Amino acid sequence: MNYQNPTLRRALAADYAIGLMPPTARRRFEHLMADDQALQVELAQWQETLATLTLPIAEEPVPEQVWDRIVARIEPQRLHVPRRSRVRHWARLTALAAAVVLAVGIGMFYNRDEALYSATLVSAANQPAVQIRAFGQYLQVEPVNLASAPVDRSMELWAIPADGKPISLGLMPAGGKGKISLNESQRKLLGEPIALAISLEPAGGSPTGQPTGPVLYHGEVVTL
Amino acid sequence: MNGTGAPRRLGSASQAVVWLTGWGRGQAREFVLIRSKTISTIDTDQLGQLLTDCAQGNRRAFETLYRTSSARLHGVALRCVGRRELAEEIVQESFVRIWNNAARYDASLSAPMTWMVNITRHLAIDLLRRRHEEPLDEAHLQALADEGPSAHEQLNQAREATALNLCLEELEGMQRQSILTAYFHGLSNAELAQQLAAPLGSVKSWIRRGMERLRRCLES
Repeated sequence: MNYQNPTLRRALAADYAIGLMPPTARRRFEHLMADDQALQVELAQWQETLATLTLPIAEEPVPEQVWDRIVARIEPQRLHVPRRSRVRHWARLTALAAAVVLAVGIGMFYNRDEALYSATLVSAANQPAVQIRAFGQYLQVEPVNLASAPVDRSMELWAIPADGKPISLGLMPAGGKGKISLNESQRKLLGEPIALAISLEPAGGSPTGQPTGPVLYHGEVVTL
Repeated sequence: MNGTGAPRRLGSASQAVVWLTGWGRGQAREFVLIRSKTISTIDTDQLGQLLTDCAQGNRRAFETLYRTSSARLHGVALRCVGRRELAEEIVQESFVRIWNNAARYDASLSAPMTWMVNITRHLAIDLLRRRHEEPLDEAHLQALADEGPSAHEQLNQAREATALNLCLEELEGMQRQSILTAYFHGLSNAELAQQLAAPLGSVKSWIRRGMERLRRCLES
């Protein structure tokens, strides 16, 4: 099928938006859409059109206990990041400095656009495991010494802002090396002082939106 | 405002849809609908800001978001599943998701309410699908049968005159019915064909043509 045909694209986005695609077709469409911003926009327009169908629906007040149950569910689950010792701190700084030199070198050699931020994530044993560089729209992941996740698990990358509540940046690329694309609010996060962490999650990522498994790697983000 | 009695557009760059309806002695009433705001009476910018604050872990912003939008999402959930205890469960789950995924909201792609409505609708449809695997009970069949005249009447009782009303009026009965059933109950083409006692090909074409018509009408 020619996925560049505008009529076909529009029809597929419409089917996806209203929810008529069988699961395999849904996945194929999501795959197509991942690298196709125009298709994302096409879908968004359908979703906006369809959402107007909910306009005439009368509002229904919600009993107060629903809010209490929501609050109980979202009580902050603090992410455990190992305390840093002085030795580790220097080791980390050295690793970071090396990573920055490496990042700048690689950046100048390869890239049309330049990395804005960089982080080297280290293991619990303080060994550099993976280097992550942030560009305008995505993160570039370069494994240094990264374990691979068991087949039924996924590694998920988290941004940890000053308040300690982790925000998912997405799943680590299969095979380690690759890109993670960022949405607008994720991009904004990178301008702030944050740490990064990678946790081991059920396949497909945390079901709760917060880390549920052990933290495998962590590191600070530095501005380049 | 100076009404001319004829439809016109506001500013080429804006997505504003303006239409005028003249009544009596040169008096004209003007309804202005910014497209991104059609979905909500609450200010879109305000909701967007609240979502941004939620993404940063701001609990107060989350509570404000809940107070301003939970009744709407509850209405949507109830429309999908038709049962109060299930709808409340869906609202609860929706807001847990909204809090956890606020950072994934992309303002360049959708209005905040559209994003939230979709979360609620998907949760409701997932729940309906899980229940589909059980035999359909009488209450559920009743809920599915509600897309006919009653849904139409409900639309006529809309809180305000919207472009949507005019656009839905334009759709033929079967187009409207199949779109509403698919959207709110998550039925597949085959299930719709069975439900509406119509050939599969007809159902597909009702939905396709109806959606194109709806979108073109809302955009015009």
